[in-house]
Amino acid sequence: MGTIVTIDVYVDAGKSVDRLAAHVGRARSVLHRADDIFSTWKADSPMSRLRRGEAMLDQMPPEVAGVLDACRAARMLSGGWFDPWALPGGVDPTGYVKGWAAERALGALRMPDVAAAVVNAAGDIASFGGPAPGQPFRFAVVDPFDRTRLACVVEHTGAVATSGTSEQDHHLIDPHSRRAASAVASATVTGPELGLADALATALAIGGPDVLERIDALDGFEALVIGHDGDRRWTCGFPWAPESAPAAVNLFPTPIR
Amino acid sequence: MRRAILVIGATVVGLVGVLSFHTTPAKLTLGSLSAGTTPRSATTTTPAGASPPTTGPPPPTPTTVPAAQGPTTTSPPTTTAPATTRSATGPSVNYNFGLISVTATVSGSKLTNVSIASLDDGGSPRSQSIDQQSIPILKQQALQAQNANIQGVSGASYTSSGFQQSLQAALSQLGFK
Repeated sequence: MGTIVTIDVYVDAGKSVDRLAAHVGRARSVLHRADDIFSTWKADSPMSRLRRGEAMLDQMPPEVAGVLDACRAARMLSGGWFDPWALPGGVDPTGYVKGWAAERALGALRMPDVAAAVVNAAGDIASFGGPAPGQPFRFAVVDPFDRTRLACVVEHTGAVATSGTSEQDHHLIDPHSRRAASAVASATVTGPELGLADALATALAIGGPDVLERIDALDGFEALVIGHDGDRRWTCGFPWAPESAPAAVNLFPTPIR
Repeated sequence: MRRAILVIGATVVGLVGVLSFHTTPAKLTLGSLSAGTTPRSATTTTPAGASPPTTGPPPPTPTTVPAAQGPTTTSPPTTTAPATTRSATGPSVNYNFGLISVTATVSGSKLTNVSIASLDDGGSPRSQSIDQQSIPILKQQALQAQNANIQGVSGASYTSSGFQQSLQAALSQLGFK
């Protein structure tokens, strides 16, 4: 199976377009390299060899140590609800790598001739700029109960990750019980960087309210959960688009607890 | 300041979770830089979720450049979408379970229908089951999302990307951003 990533590049009028294809080409290369290194489905990938104990960390490409460090940070920040070391089959940073790779691909597009860009890795989104000068991007979140609908729209330039609504059975494993689990129907995290946002969304889908409180305390990250009963909870600064914002009377309902 | 837009919807790679590539050929959708006073907003893009892009005026003279892409019919670019009903079919796009091609129908500046022009999911029960569930949903999402002025959907996944790409290419052919 694969993940299809779409890359959208926005260019201001009058700017040269000659190099755009080259920029996108580099973004693609970033994704391919990430896949080559971290694929747990390729038996000979560095990550697969590390998992089988056939190679040591210092024999790995430099990206591996960085990613594992970031995974440790994500594990701590999520209170242990995101834990690549608690998965069956050995350490598996996949829940972080997808967002991380998309974010790095986005980095390849940060060039003077690119006004804005969106990298959407199967529903996990990294972006910079905006659809017009001074405007944030608007991204929708799928309704977990009716995928023909959009649950809400956020206005946010940066990262948006959602866990728990995949058309695939998402393998959400509770690192504490090591069993499949999901506390909520859908968990969305916004933030400045997609690697951590992706990891936190996974943690939030499994851990629910406990993780929501932790994200509320994190600078720059906000979250929304939609419970199995449809009940919504969110952090104080969640970037609702105006039409999605909760009614005024409800403006500060007990977002968490 | 005058801006026209130019967007590249390039599709990439397999990566992550479960991997192996279905590298869809890079597809450049170039909205030409003609003198629109339009801001960047006319996103001619392929958000992976559910959005035939947005509102705003139609893009200036789009040209579809299917790089390394199979049989796309490049239909005549129009500067202003007349209020007639027109259809176009996007290229077959490799998605997670096979190949999908989408036809878009627009009336004036409104997307009025989305249908599957062709689908080859390899015939495995699992592919078929996923497609049967997801494709009607994607059609519905596309129709809904056009009014939402969004640049992407979070929480959508695999099949949707291929669907969106092909849809976007079809819309580009219609000069419909």
